[in-house]
Amino acid sequence: MSKKKSVIWSFFSSVKLAIVLIALIAFFALIGTLVPQREAAAQLAEKMSPALFSFLHKMQIFDLYHSLWFFLLSGLLAVNLVICSLDRLPLAWRRFQRKQPPYSEEAFRNLPEENQFEASAGLEEAAKAAEALLQKRYRNAKREESGDAVYLAAQKGRFSLFGVYIVHLSLLVLIAGAIVGSVFGIEGYVNITEGETVNAIQLRGENRSWPLSFSVRCDKFTVELYESGMPKTFQSDLVFLKDGRKAFEGKLRVNHPLEFEGFRFYQASYGPAPGGKATLALVRDGGRRDVMNVAQGYAFDLPGKEGTFQVLRVEENLMKMGPAVKVAVTSPRREETVFWVFQQIDEIKKISPDIFEQVPVFNPGLFRPYTFSLLGLEEKYYTGLQVNRDPGTPLVAAAALLLIGGLMLILFSYARTVRIRLVSRSGQTLIAAAGQSYKNASGLQKEVQYLLAELKNNLETSK
Amino acid sequence: MINTTILSWVTFIYFAAFVFYLFRMVLGREFWGKLATVTALAGLAAQTVALAIRWKTSYDLGFGHAPLSNFYESLIFFAWTIVLLYLLMEWRLKNRSIGVFVLPIAFLIMAYASIAPGVNSRIEPLIPALQSNWLTSHVLTCFLGYAAFTVAFALGIMFLLKRTASSEAARTKTFIRLLPSEYHIDELMYSCAVLGFIFLTLGIVTGSVWAHYAWGSYWSWDPKETWSLITWLVYAVMLHARLVRGWRGRRMAIMAIVGFGCMLFTYLGVNLLPSLHSYMV
Ligand code: HEM
Repeated sequence: MSKKKSVIWSFFSSVKLAIVLIALIAFFALIGTLVPQREAAAQLAEKMSPALFSFLHKMQIFDLYHSLWFFLLSGLLAVNLVICSLDRLPLAWRRFQRKQPPYSEEAFRNLPEENQFEASAGLEEAAKAAEALLQKRYRNAKREESGDAVYLAAQKGRFSLFGVYIVHLSLLVLIAGAIVGSVFGIEGYVNITEGETVNAIQLRGENRSWPLSFSVRCDKFTVELYESGMPKTFQSDLVFLKDGRKAFEGKLRVNHPLEFEGFRFYQASYGPAPGGKATLALVRDGGRRDVMNVAQGYAFDLPGKEGTFQVLRVEENLMKMGPAVKVAVTSPRREETVFWVFQQIDEIKKISPDIFEQVPVFNPGLFRPYTFSLLGLEEKYYTGLQVNRDPGTPLVAAAALLLIGGLMLILFSYARTVRIRLVSRSGQTLIAAAGQSYKNASGLQKEVQYLLAELKNNLETSK
Repeated sequence: MINTTILSWVTFIYFAAFVFYLFRMVLGREFWGKLATVTALAGLAAQTVALAIRWKTSYDLGFGHAPLSNFYESLIFFAWTIVLLYLLMEWRLKNRSIGVFVLPIAFLIMAYASIAPGVNSRIEPLIPALQSNWLTSHVLTCFLGYAAFTVAFALGIMFLLKRTASSEAARTKTFIRLLPSEYHIDELMYSCAVLGFIFLTLGIVTGSVWAHYAWGSYWSWDPKETWSLITWLVYAVMLHARLVRGWRGRRMAIMAIVGFGCMLFTYLGVNLLPSLHSYMV
């Protein structure tokens, strides 16, 4: 590579640019938490002049995180990362490959006093002990001799030189995953009443539905409550149908999504579904009692053939007086009698004893000689499902692993060479140790001190 | 409940430890320092016991979750990690002068947990979305990160104090004299910021995994998520400014304070904004 790099290259390889870009992204993210986004922005429209609102809307201020600005900044950051890494990778590679010959006077220049000591052992004995120590701690030790001196060296942690590049690569993968997700991803939701089948979902943030190439049926929904009435767990028994045939079924619980044909289904919410079933009892004066399960629209003949009755409505809670069913009885002469049947009719009568006089249609015995009573409603739920397809997720997951792996490499390891020099001096041996690294100087000095102490100890005990 | 009683005692114990650290710094006698360390250790031990009791009680009540599930428990855990981290540092560095900056923060958090209106100290069952092991690892890693940032912040304040004090004061005033050298404060502050950065990264990742399982998307730009990203980016800037641009000392101290502010807003401030994480209130 030529020494003189182009202006563009040095612009994009600069860390100053990186700092500015990161700060800008942080700033935009901050604005997004202060200015209402997406649906919430609609309230702002009423308080602002329409011209200003539409200007800000065009500038994508109300959807900052999906705006061109954000794409642009992420794109620039990606370019910055690529160029900066390409710019520095050769250096890291050279450092990785650099031969660290044991013989190096340079490494022992200006050595602090505490990095050497004199041992009474002979040169060869001391060198053996030092080599064994290096072998034990670093699994590698090289030896060189020069005159009356022995030089030893060991290396460790060279791979951590690439930690930074792994971290930066992970950010590129992350940006790629996020872009794939926002371009090809689908976010939607659907509510399914128990027993029903759907084949489309509602897109989030858009007034549009998305047809599925399969259909989903909810066979059953169950909710378990704590004593306080708070939900403990809830789940839906789902069946996925392809071309009308059952292709997959499973229980969908909160925190345990199901996946079918690239779509992930999440249990998000639930609620009572309108139009549940009711259990009605009808008593003929002093005579037989019939119990039947009914739903809205059902019609029956009365047991004594006095006419037919039809269920017009099933209400969970009518006028705060509890469950009620609206019934119409039609006589053979086509006269229609309509009235409500309350489940808690006894309590209602206790509170207002003359309710039947005031509101005749609340009298469940309006059609003689029958009296209707409502034994209960069968609770029916709908299950609220979040449905997503995000082809970027595997990329983002890979990025997360790379990011954590790279950070661990940076944190727990650093490239270093330690050297021991042994010089024979009038029957004694002068032992010196030095370390060389690109960072963590204080950690390295501690390690060198530890090596010296260990060697001293080994030499003394071997005597 | 016994655990909240212990915890209110712990609040006072931390305050006492702070006062002893202060005595040491002003009087310059190591006796006070030793007393402060013992007091802080006693507080930490009592708090550990209280957390364990709380954990066990939740199982006895039939909910069975780690004591990390609501705002009160998060505050208590926050204070616990700060004191733990500080005592580890004191032990490793054989230096007690940081305590006078860290212990008051732990005390304030504990006091806030017990007196702030709307902080609920009861043990409560978890709504289904929170019943996940990812929640435990998410809260754990986030608060380890927060604790490291808090210590970095304390060191930042310490640095600015040392820098503003005249060289005259450095010789005469015991308080200033006992502080570590500017070089050492700077090194320590950076180490704490790096530690916090790594834990915050883990916190954001585990949070995303949890969101992926619970809400169907690993990232939804909810204000708490966004602010944690902002905090993360601020510390990323701090790292690069030091490693590549060679920033040291005062600028690093200011970055540590700004980062701490962002972290605090992530933790407390966003509750003013509508959020998925609003269970924390
Ligand atoms: C949010 C984005 C970023 C994050 C989270 C990040 C993360 C990191 C981390 C953790 C380190 C520390 C490495 C160590 O301690 O040895 C680092 C170093 C570095 N980063 Fe980044 N980085 C980001 C963006 C960038 C960008 C856009 C550039 C492009 C210019 C860049 C250039 C560098 C350089 C040159 C170093 C120093 C490498 C060395 O010490 O040899 N970073 N980055």
